[in-house]
Formats: sequence, C-alpha cells, structure tokens
Amino acid sequence: MSRRSTLGLLPWSVCFAVFGLIPLLAALVLSFYSMNPLRPDLTHWIGVSNYARAFRSPEFWHALRTTAIFVVGTLPVTLSLAYVVAALLSRLRRGETFFRAAIFFPATLSMVVISLIFKSLYAEQGLLNGWLAAAGMPRLHWLQDPRLALPSIMAMDVWASVGYYAILILAGRKTLPGEQLEAARLEGMGALEVERRIIFPHVRPVILFVVLLNTIRSFQIFIEVFVLTRGGPLDSTLTLVYHLYERAFYHFEMGYACAIAYILLLLVGLILLVQRRLIAKAPGDAAAA
Amino acid sequence: MGSRGHSVLGRALAVAVLALMAGGCGRSAGTKRTVVFWQFSPLAAIQPVLDRFKTEHPDMDVQVEQLTWQSGREKIVAAIAAGRPPDLCEVGSTFLPGLVADSTLIDLTDSIPDLMPTLRGWKVVEHRGRAYAIPWMLGTRALYANADLMKRAGLNPEDPPATWAAFARAVQRIDAIDPETKGFGMNSGEREVLFKKFMPFAWGNGGDILDSTLTKSVVASTQNIEALRFYLSLKPNSLLDRQEMLDEAFARGRLGFTISGPWLLRKLPTTAPELHFEVALMPRPAEGKGTPASFAGAEVLGIFRSSKHKADALTLARFLVREENAMPLYAATGNAFPAAAAAEQDTYFVSRPRDRVFVEQLRTAVAPPVHPRWVEIEEILNGELEEAIYGKKSAEAALRSADSRIEALLHATP
Repeated sequence: MSRRSTLGLLPWSVCFAVFGLIPLLAALVLSFYSMNPLRPDLTHWIGVSNYARAFRSPEFWHALRTTAIFVVGTLPVTLSLAYVVAALLSRLRRGETFFRAAIFFPATLSMVVISLIFKSLYAEQGLLNGWLAAAGMPRLHWLQDPRLALPSIMAMDVWASVGYYAILILAGRKTLPGEQLEAARLEGMGALEVERRIIFPHVRPVILFVVLLNTIRSFQIFIEVFVLTRGGPLDSTLTLVYHLYERAFYHFEMGYACAIAYILLLLVGLILLVQRRLIAKAPGDAAAA
Repeated sequence: MGSRGHSVLGRALAVAVLALMAGGCGRSAGTKRTVVFWQFSPLAAIQPVLDRFKTEHPDMDVQVEQLTWQSGREKIVAAIAAGRPPDLCEVGSTFLPGLVADSTLIDLTDSIPDLMPTLRGWKVVEHRGRAYAIPWMLGTRALYANADLMKRAGLNPEDPPATWAAFARAVQRIDAIDPETKGFGMNSGEREVLFKKFMPFAWGNGGDILDSTLTKSVVASTQNIEALRFYLSLKPNSLLDRQEMLDEAFARGRLGFTISGPWLLRKLPTTAPELHFEVALMPRPAEGKGTPASFAGAEVLGIFRSSKHKADALTLARFLVREENAMPLYAATGNAFPAAAAAEQDTYFVSRPRDRVFVEQLRTAVAPPVHPRWVEIEEILNGELEEAIYGKKSAEAALRSADSRIEALLHATP
C-alpha cells in the first residue's frame, strides 16, 4: 500500500478506533466490572458475575424471547416481501424509476421519524382505526394491547425495511445476463421455473447479505420500542437492547449492561454463522459460500 | 502527497493550532468566571433571566445548555461518568433520589438556611433531613373537565366533582352520552407514569408508599387498596392510553375528565379553541374525609461533587429561585410553578383562575419519598399497577405483591 493510500485511510481509521474499536474493547472490559457511572470511583472487578447474573435473570430471558420473536417474525416476512417487490420491479416496463424511488423512500427516513408517524397511525383516533371504524369493525388498541403491541412494531419494521432490501435484491437481479434468461425461455422454461432455477440461485449471495444485515438490525431493535412503547405494555415489547438501556441509564448498572451487550454480540455472531452455512449449503449455489 | 500538499496541510494545522491557542488565551486572559448551567427550558425562555443575572453579576458569565426530556438523563450521567458535569444542573425530582443515593450531589443544607423559609418543595430534595438540591419549579396535576360534555350529561360544569362518589357518577354519565365519548382518561401503555396517576387517590385517602422512617413499605395498606379499587372502578368508562393521547382526546372533546398538568392550559386554546373546559382540584375520598391530593414533582437545582465552580453555581442557583426570576419562566413555559413562596401572591394568577387552581393543588400535592432505592421502588409499583390496570391482578393482589417486593428490596443488601 502506498504512503498516500495509508494517509487516505488514516482519518477513517482514527474515527473507527476512537468511536468503534476502543468503546467496543472498553465495553468488554467493563462487562467484568461493577460500574456505576455516577460513582466511577467505586468501580471494581467482579469477574463473570455480570454474565452469570444475566443468565439467572428472568427479565433477561424474557427480553431475549421478545427479541427472538421479533427477529423470527420480521425476517421471513421482510425477505419474502422484498424478493416479491424486487421481482415485480424488474418486470416493470414503464415507471420503474418512480416505483424504485417510492419503494426505497422509507429507507431514507430516520427510524425516529417513522416511529412517530406510526405512533399517530396506531393512535386510538388514528388512520388505521378510522379505516376499521369505516368498515364497521371495532377500534383496536394497537400499542396498548399486550397482544398487539409487538406485532404492531413488527409490521412497522417490515414496512420500513422492505424497500431497502428490495432494491438490494433488484440490483442483484440486474447483474444476471439477459442472454441467460433468453436461453432459458427458448428452452421452454416458464416464468416460475426461470425464477426458481436461474434467478434465485443467481441472487442468493445478495439474499444471504440481506438475511445477515436484517438479522443484525432486528436483534438491535431499540428506537422503535423507545419511541412507541418503552418496553410495555406488561413488558410485551421489552427487547434485549431496550433492557440493557434501562439497566445502564435507569439503574446505572453499566457493567451489567455491557455484559448483556456482549451476550447479544456473541448470540448474533453465532446466528450469522449458522445462517451463512445454511444458505451457502443450499443446492445449486457456489457463489454464496 | 507532494511537498506542496505537505506545505498546505502544515499551514492549515498551524492555523488551527494558533486559533486554538488564541481561544485558550482569550479564556485565560478574561476576568469573567464562567458557570456551566444545564437546564430543560427553551433557551428563549431562560436567556432573558440569565441576561439579568449577568447584569447583576458583571464578573460572571453563564454557559447555558438546553437538555431534552428524552435524553437529558443520559447526558447528565455521561457527563458525571466522564468527570465533567456542569457546575449547576436542573434535575427532575424522580431522578434526584438516585443521585442522592450515590452521593453525586453535594449537601447544600448549611449553605442555604436563608432560603428555607422562602421556598416550598423542600421535601422533594431532602434525605435524612439534609437538602441535596434547591427547589426551583414545582409541578403538579389537576382535574380537567369538559364543560360541554358535563352539560350534555346533565351535570353542572361550574361544580366539578369534588368527591370520589361524585366523580365516579360523572364519569359514568358522560361515558353513557355516546360511544365516541369516554368518561375518564386513564393512563396505560407508559408504565413510568402509572404511580403518578394512582397515588394521588391513595395519598388523598391517607395512604402512602413508605412509612415516615422510610424503612417499611405501607403499599398494601387498606387506604391504598381502597383507593386502587376505586381507581380501577373507573376503567370500564375510561379511555386507556398514553398521556399525550389522552391530552389529545380531551382536546378533541372526547373525554369527560382527564388528569393533566398546566402545560395543557397553554396547549388547549390553540389546539382546541372551541373546547370549553374547567380545571378543578382532584376529587377527595368523601366530603370531610381525606384530601384532594395530587402528585408533586419538582425541577430542582443541584451541584455535583465534581462541579468545578461550586460557589459560583450556588450564586446562580440563588438568583434563579428568586420569585422575580422564576415567575417569567413559568409565564414563558407554563410547565411548573416557581418554588418561591412569594409567587403564590403574584398578580399573574389573579387574572388566570385556571393557573390558580394548580397553585392551590400544590398545597395538597404529595411528593414521592427521596429514598436511595426509589428507582427500583417506582419500577415495582408501576409494574404491579400495570398488572392491575390490565386485569391480570386484583387491586389487593397487586398491592400486596408490590408490598412484599418493596419490603424485600428495603431489607436487601444494596
């Protein structure tokens, strides 16, 4: 690498070290300490006690379960919808640019803005209940009902992320040579067969990327919960990151919060490895591995 | 990078270093002492007050920063952890016990004996007889009544319900007007405010959270159970939602009654100019029984142990709590009332009877205990109240569970 390239990388490297690597390592160290940010002078080493405490805590397991439901509930729906939307966009003859922009639009909004929009949509007098009332159906307490609160946040999350992933998958589809599709059609393959045997294997690396990205994002769900429900009602939306936020900033248990963060990091890493292996192992794929 | 590039970069760095040095020289050469002050009011509201302070104290400057209610707590915690807290900081009363427990705030008792008789709200800042902050602004909630709905229900809006029985009847009658109206707005879906809405009924009935020594839970007292039973009896005729949604439903004329703060007084004339409403004291258990209690919150001024300019911070705090300096802040924001006792007689309230109700409500408002483990106590109480509101537990079961959990907490080793 030339000296100029090294210099070019320096600003990013410094930023990464200061805002990424050092905090990451500091959090790892902190997870073995009892640390109250209001009394840093009383910080002391407690070994793996924070980790042991997390595994004994029913609240931790509840938050993990809620997070898992969120991930399992949103990932397949987001992925399927993104794939279908990408397929539809690729078939458009006219207005593709407009629809692509429209579909991608939610990805340009901050999650806080999206959450605030959905907060009013889900309100007792909001648009959704207006539609239900117009259809002669009873109003629903979207964010007040413990059975509906998490699905409501999941629906919002799917809406917010489908466009972004659809564009990624669409980009993958666009790299497929037209001759290959033409040849498949000449061989008498139907549209579904072309999709299954030609296009899907081709975009599988992109799908793997989308799955990994969405898994990471979903495990980190925080803003939606913070803005919409604050973990309630009845802890029905208490996710792992919101739980660690509460422990850190309401109970001032910074070490314990860091331990939860590292458990989450390891868990996500493990799941990503499994996902990568599963998707890469699927028949007919060589590129995804 | 060529030599020309190096030279340009070198010159840019030199200019930056010189600029920084010049800035540093400017600060050290100046004669003014700077107090760093973090607070929650809009800068437009606080700045005129601080300008007056600077006129009165020409040797001092104030570096003010506005915190947000969403992230203010995190910012304060991070600043303390980093060893660079502001010199003077506005702190909410529910955040205060945690700071006191960790000895983060300095004990001001011996520095402010002269302020004791001039300010109200000392209970909010005192722990074991020592004051860890200075009350600045006091907040409470009162009963808002929709005058039009009261009329439609055959009730006299001039005579809002003053007892639990009258209140329950009024709630039922308004709820019966049509399916779109609800008698009362009951908080749900935001656990952190539940005790603030329920405890006024319990306090009014003679109940409390901890005993006077702060060593024993009295959450499962008969007074509290009676109050929670009454509170839950309102549920069938209530709209259950978050505070902002209840405020909005009240503004739309869909709620007969809601319990809210003075901020709604400022909001309603602009968001709902057609709405006719009254503000009244909270209902008491019965005629001649109990008090019309409410929740007392406060914005207090604290000085951290690691503050750099403690004496100057105290000078600024003393200035801010004076009636003539706190009153303009109330007039500008309408959120909380000056803790200065003299503010009660301010002419501002003569022409504003609705604001006056809040001043009266403050007399019977009760503050939660300043206990080192308040955050956990509050969490337990809110969690159990939520279970009761969602019908998972009876009033008695919820409060008994809260009682045993709080007892266990009080006797656990921290």
